[in-house]
Amino acid sequence: MTRYMSLYWLFLLQRLKALMEYRASFILGATSTIIWQGSSIAAVWVVMQNVPSLNGWNYDEVLMVYGIITLAKSINHMFADNLWTVGRVYIRAGGFDRFLVRPIDPLFHLLADRFCQDGVGNFIVGLALVVKASVDLDITWTPLMVAMLAVGVISGGFIFIALNLITCVSSFWIIDSVPITRLVFDNHLFAQYPLSIYPKAISILLTWVIPYGFASFYPASYLLGREMGNLAWVSPLIAAFLMFIGYRFWQFGLKYYSGTGS
Amino acid sequence: MQTLQRRVSVYGALLAMIPKMFMAYQLWFWAGLVMNVISMSILYFFWNAVYAESGVISGLAREQTINYILLAFFFMPLASNDLVWEFGSNLREGLMVHHLLRPVNFQAMNYVQQFGAVLTRVTLQIPILLLGVFLFGLKIPTDLMTWLAFLVSALLGFTVMFFFTWFLACFTFYTTEIWGLGVLIEGMTFFLSGALVPLAMMPEWLRGIVLSVPFAQALAVPIGLLSGITPLGDAPRLWLIQIAWIIGMWIISTLFFRVAVRKITVQGG
Amino acid sequence: MDAGEIVGYIGVNGAGKSTTIKMLTGVLMPTSGEVRVLGRDPHKQRVDNARDIGVVFGQRTQLWWDLALIESLNLIAKIYDVPPDRYKNILDQFTETLDLGALLNVPVRNMSLGQKMRSELAAALIHEPKVVYLDEPTIGLDLIVKERIRDFIKAECGAKGMTVMLTTHDLGDIEELCQRVIIIDDGQVIYDGPIQTIKKRFGKFREISFDTMKEAKSLQLPDGAQVLSAEERKVHIRFDRTVSSASKVASAVMNQIEVTDFSLSEPDLADIVKQIYNGALEREAR
Repeated sequence: MTRYMSLYWLFLLQRLKALMEYRASFILGATSTIIWQGSSIAAVWVVMQNVPSLNGWNYDEVLMVYGIITLAKSINHMFADNLWTVGRVYIRAGGFDRFLVRPIDPLFHLLADRFCQDGVGNFIVGLALVVKASVDLDITWTPLMVAMLAVGVISGGFIFIALNLITCVSSFWIIDSVPITRLVFDNHLFAQYPLSIYPKAISILLTWVIPYGFASFYPASYLLGREMGNLAWVSPLIAAFLMFIGYRFWQFGLKYYSGTGS
Repeated sequence: MQTLQRRVSVYGALLAMIPKMFMAYQLWFWAGLVMNVISMSILYFFWNAVYAESGVISGLAREQTINYILLAFFFMPLASNDLVWEFGSNLREGLMVHHLLRPVNFQAMNYVQQFGAVLTRVTLQIPILLLGVFLFGLKIPTDLMTWLAFLVSALLGFTVMFFFTWFLACFTFYTTEIWGLGVLIEGMTFFLSGALVPLAMMPEWLRGIVLSVPFAQALAVPIGLLSGITPLGDAPRLWLIQIAWIIGMWIISTLFFRVAVRKITVQGG
Repeated sequence: MDAGEIVGYIGVNGAGKSTTIKMLTGVLMPTSGEVRVLGRDPHKQRVDNARDIGVVFGQRTQLWWDLALIESLNLIAKIYDVPPDRYKNILDQFTETLDLGALLNVPVRNMSLGQKMRSELAAALIHEPKVVYLDEPTIGLDLIVKERIRDFIKAECGAKGMTVMLTTHDLGDIEELCQRVIIIDDGQVIYDGPIQTIKKRFGKFREISFDTMKEAKSLQLPDGAQVLSAEERKVHIRFDRTVSSASKVASAVMNQIEVTDFSLSEPDLADIVKQIYNGALEREAR
């Protein structure tokens, strides 16, 4: 474990060194994320100038939901972006075998191989939203609430990673897994807003099937002292369960890969 | 015999690839459809929640707004074109001079190409329109005059955006960050075209800003006509405004292109 | 394979070379039969096996595209847990033998093919593996770089007693490096033995070419000699050294036609392999 942590740190350092050469495109990447997110947030702002609340959630409360999921997403974006392209970039081009001749876990190697700087933009946006909302809402942070924010964001990040992991395994069979991953991933867009604005079926889907709700709505509900907020404490369990499934699935795919090659 | 077997198995493997490739395209098609359903559901339920407490916002009823938003979602391709990427790749591969020397007007050629691309994209979106009708009660207007007013305005709006993007694409002569420039423009288009919120709901000052840049001419204006938010009687006035935009953008883009193109005609490349 | 051997592994494309290497490195599982490397199953004990092997996949890089070579090597050393002082020693040594000095701070994406291959070799051997697989290590390289790489393999692997398995299309590699050759076709081993044996066995044939004044028609040749090809003013003849001799063939030809020039050549390994593929071995066995 400590070996893997120090290894990850080294991977990260080297990657950052390489990125220093591309400073301009790093800044552009972060800026473009901020502009895209800014567009959506600006739209929410405009709308909520006209109405007092979105189903009982005021502007800053909506921002809190939006901010938490953006933070969780940024974890996935920064640390697990290779799951998107494992089929296209590694398996099809044959570079995947490199991971299999090294004495470390191939999944770890795959993820550590590329820290994705573009996720930093999302992190900044998410953090700014949470801070802004909490200042405007006059939230007094107790240690328990701080813990919940961290638990929510980190578990949320792992929920994103696990769902991408499960879907990316299909790349062992069909090479380009991006459409399948997108199918599941895009559902997180629902969770950018309070789940209570959707019909029951959708909020159940986002809670128990594709549980992005645990990466946004439930932790935000807890912080804002709303009903259902306590459900947020389940987030780590859900994240751990999904990661377990994801890893088993990954091993299953890997076994198929080493049975056939390609 | 064994050699034959091996050959057969190699060709077999190649053959097996074909349905795989085909499936990949199919997969993208279906995934795209589901992704669009997700986006439309979010828009629909979001706006439903917005209207939960008030019947009319800034003079717009719930149905009007939802119709506007869904139609804008469907016609989103009107507001963007690929000129920046086109310029970028031509410059990178050194083909720009080659294109300019051809006996066809470079700008006219691009206009036709981009127009075709937009037409194709809108056509490919038709399943989304049908989904909108069946799932979210989208009402497609049946009045011929409405469609006529919309089509004229859409064509004019596309032309405004064409010249405007032509002007922006000239920056590719000066920078290599093509991707960044493209994504930046797309992100701004997303909000400023009025795809996300009807202009009527914006505060005065913001609407002023949005109307002083060309993006809204390509989407908010024609969709306003199509969705019935804007009365048909306003159409001629709006067309004239769009024509004025075209003239202005045409002058700016032509002048700027003339300056920018010196970058390659002087240095060669 | 025995420890310390350098074995050449030859076969046409699709004969099963890369599949074999993938099974030996633990990437693939054998569909039937058993694979053992250093007494281990390379797939089931993948991590243990990985520690003891080094691999160069000729056309795919092991290095990080955007990183300077030294940084890639540092990372690889950490992945393989090479003790720092040991690593420093080997790095110094490689820097000299592979002439990496000027390359250490260059990102791989800016390297030429030859520079890349030298870097790949360093990356594959930095943890001093016991078994090394080199898949096409000289493909696409010019003669001078090839020479350098062969010298390095000879010196490095020979000195450390590494076992090396080398696949290549370049028979020069084999002739210079390997004591033993395995030739496969259709997944079957069709020859396994010392390189001298094939050379001797097929070396009993010699070829002799004549430039003639006129077109040579229906030449009478001594026993053991046959015309390989006859162009307008050129004749290629092969003869069995154990039955006939160069002088017998030459004088026989010269008696029948006016010769302006002639030359004698020994068949090279490429021809030998071609002959083996053509079933020469099978015919002989019968």
